[in-house]
Amino acid sequence: MDDALLWHRLQFGFTVTYHYLFPQLTMGLAWILVYWKWRHLRTGDERYASAMRFWARIFGITFTVGVVTGIPMEFQFGTNWANFSRYSGNIIGQTLGMEGMFAFFLESAMVGAMVWGEKRLGPRNHFLATLGVAVGSWLSGYFILVTNAFMQHPVGYSLAADGTLRLADLPAFLLNPWALVVFLHNQIAAVVTGSFAVAAVGALYALRKHHAKQASLFLKTGTIVGLLASVLVAFPTGDMHARKVAQYQPVTLAAMEGRFHSGPMAEINMIGQPNVKEHRLDNPIRIPGALSFLAYGSFYANVRGLDEFPEDSWPTNIELLYYSFHIMVGLGTIFIALMVCANVQLWRGRLEKTPALLWMLMLAFPFPFIAASAGWMVAELGRQPWLVYGLFHTTQGTSEVVSGGDVLFTLIGFVGLYFVLGVLYLFMVGYEILHGPQSASSTVNPGGTHG
Amino acid sequence: MVETWYAILSFMLVMFVILDGFGIGAGMLQYAVGKTDAERRLVIRAIGPLWSWHEVWLVSFGGTLFVAFPSILASAFAGFYLAFFLLLWSLVLRGVSHEVSGHIDDPLWRTGWHFSFVTANILLAILIGAALGNVVRGVPLDAHGRFTLSFFTNFGVRGHVGILDWYTVSVAVFTLVTLAAHGAAALVLKTDGPVHDRSERLARVLWNTVLVLLAVITVESEYVRPDLFPGMLRQPFAWLGVVGVLGGLIAVFTGLRSRSERRTVMGSCAFLAGLMIAGAASVFPVMLHSTLAPEDSLTAYGGAATGHGLAIALVWWPIALALSISYFLFIHHHYEDKVKPADTSQSPY
Repeated sequence: MDDALLWHRLQFGFTVTYHYLFPQLTMGLAWILVYWKWRHLRTGDERYASAMRFWARIFGITFTVGVVTGIPMEFQFGTNWANFSRYSGNIIGQTLGMEGMFAFFLESAMVGAMVWGEKRLGPRNHFLATLGVAVGSWLSGYFILVTNAFMQHPVGYSLAADGTLRLADLPAFLLNPWALVVFLHNQIAAVVTGSFAVAAVGALYALRKHHAKQASLFLKTGTIVGLLASVLVAFPTGDMHARKVAQYQPVTLAAMEGRFHSGPMAEINMIGQPNVKEHRLDNPIRIPGALSFLAYGSFYANVRGLDEFPEDSWPTNIELLYYSFHIMVGLGTIFIALMVCANVQLWRGRLEKTPALLWMLMLAFPFPFIAASAGWMVAELGRQPWLVYGLFHTTQGTSEVVSGGDVLFTLIGFVGLYFVLGVLYLFMVGYEILHGPQSASSTVNPGGTHG
Repeated sequence: MVETWYAILSFMLVMFVILDGFGIGAGMLQYAVGKTDAERRLVIRAIGPLWSWHEVWLVSFGGTLFVAFPSILASAFAGFYLAFFLLLWSLVLRGVSHEVSGHIDDPLWRTGWHFSFVTANILLAILIGAALGNVVRGVPLDAHGRFTLSFFTNFGVRGHVGILDWYTVSVAVFTLVTLAAHGAAALVLKTDGPVHDRSERLARVLWNTVLVLLAVITVESEYVRPDLFPGMLRQPFAWLGVVGVLGGLIAVFTGLRSRSERRTVMGSCAFLAGLMIAGAASVFPVMLHSTLAPEDSLTAYGGAATGHGLAIALVWWPIALALSISYFLFIHHHYEDKVKPADTSQSPY
């Protein structure tokens, strides 16, 4: 691997991982905001309006960082991956163009008015603006996931005489079975992130005995939505996604599980360190047969190991792929357990009187971000060494006119800029949270008097 | 088909420059027209919550370029690598400054973000101007349709050029002043009180400067691209652009004299649109001109997407445009009136 390729990959990986910390929160929060706004319209209960207003402000900050870190993503297809853009632009250009035209215009028109324009818009139009933001952000997610699905499992294309790809079937491309499954899995994961954040702030207020009414609303909404989403992200959507991987990228599945050798009764390794040189997993703790069952529905199904595939088709970073997958699955399991406990206590009416659980809910909010990032690393590392699976190698995709030095220059720039942005973001969200939800009258002067 | 997509892309760029040009222009004048914290907040509020909708015209321009001319996008984005990242970072700085300044009610907090907002807008105007200058002057394309640009070489406009030379710097200065003039005209329309009066005085000075610089740029362009004006004569669309430029200037100056604020703004929009339409029509079908060998230039016909992708996109694109404009109108009518100084204790919008 020459230097420029390494820097191109690092820059894209860094900027996209950082970027996606923000949209997952906004996509998850968006529907919770719609729900609260709708409840307020129906019941007139001021609690819902005030909850919506408070989270809309956090949404606004998060959305801004998501937008400004997202614009470089779209442009990097051309700046850093020019050969990939030449090769597949006829196809992925469609979804990237649609994202701008259908989704960004919708989100960008509505978001400022949603965060700041409650009074000017009036209740009904404010609800519509909130709905517009939610629909726009999920549409944007869909178009990006279709683009990525084409890289994972290309469909609807034909090969042109000049060696580039051509769009053959737009519906097939837009309704890629891979994209549909990933959309469900990824969007529900975003709801996990959003609901955990809501529950965490509720737990903080409950523990500090501040904003009691808001604390119970945040806890109730956060934990109920959190339970539903935590379950759905694993079953059926995560399971469906794993079957797609088993079907279309069997070598990736083997690497994700650290499975070096084929055979029936394939086990799931809960813990263990892949030793790629020796072709084995060190210190494993296993559940026999579980992988066969999950991937193919039978304990005795043969799950192919890495030994069945030529080594040059193996994902290039098996260790990181393996850990990413196990971190995602492990955290996902903990999310379900935590949310089941929280819902039992909520149902008994004792959640706010269980400090241990409140502490856990409060401290749990970063983990969905980690799980989602790990999940994306599974998808993208698992795709290697391909940029478009089975068709086009990652090594072929870069802009050959751009030197490694140029890329490292911009990568360092991004690291510095995004560090500052991250500090700013945490400061502002912390400020909003300590400041707490406001009543309608005091929102006229944002950040006015404390308490 | 190719001509239609070229026209669509030109239209999107015109929309970006007119709409976001207001935000960029007004943004860089924030300290010139706002002497107090309250007045500077008035400028932010005059720009309004739709600023990001304005900016999306640029992002969607990129997306639509991807649909229609993927190989041109690949050559141009990789070739302008460093310039693109400066542009992206300026957009980051501007977006963040705009949004966070209103979140914490503290004069020092706002002053810091207002200052970075002004800086980012000035940088953006310069970068957009330099980019337009580069497109007109051309880039060192080789026979494979590839090029790479340093920030600067010998500041000349022939052969192995850099991003910055005397011509692109002139275009950048012209763009800076023109967007400032455009922003000032719009601030006159959108504000009241001292900000309004200062914007009005500034608009007069800036528009007179635009007139002088326009003459300079015209002469320079004739020298840098001798084929530009003959191209203009052949293209009826370019005549339309020239009419826009002249009509726009007349409207601006009579509007400023008679204090018809709306006419000034309309004239300013027509001027910007006319310039860009004239430019886009005159260079057609060349999208990237080669300074090394004119026969290596990338044309719209050579760079267009192949297959039936263009025809398919021509179905969904107008639908998306109609939807987009309906969202704009839905929000815009809540924010049509002038922002008043008395409102400045309220939330940003």
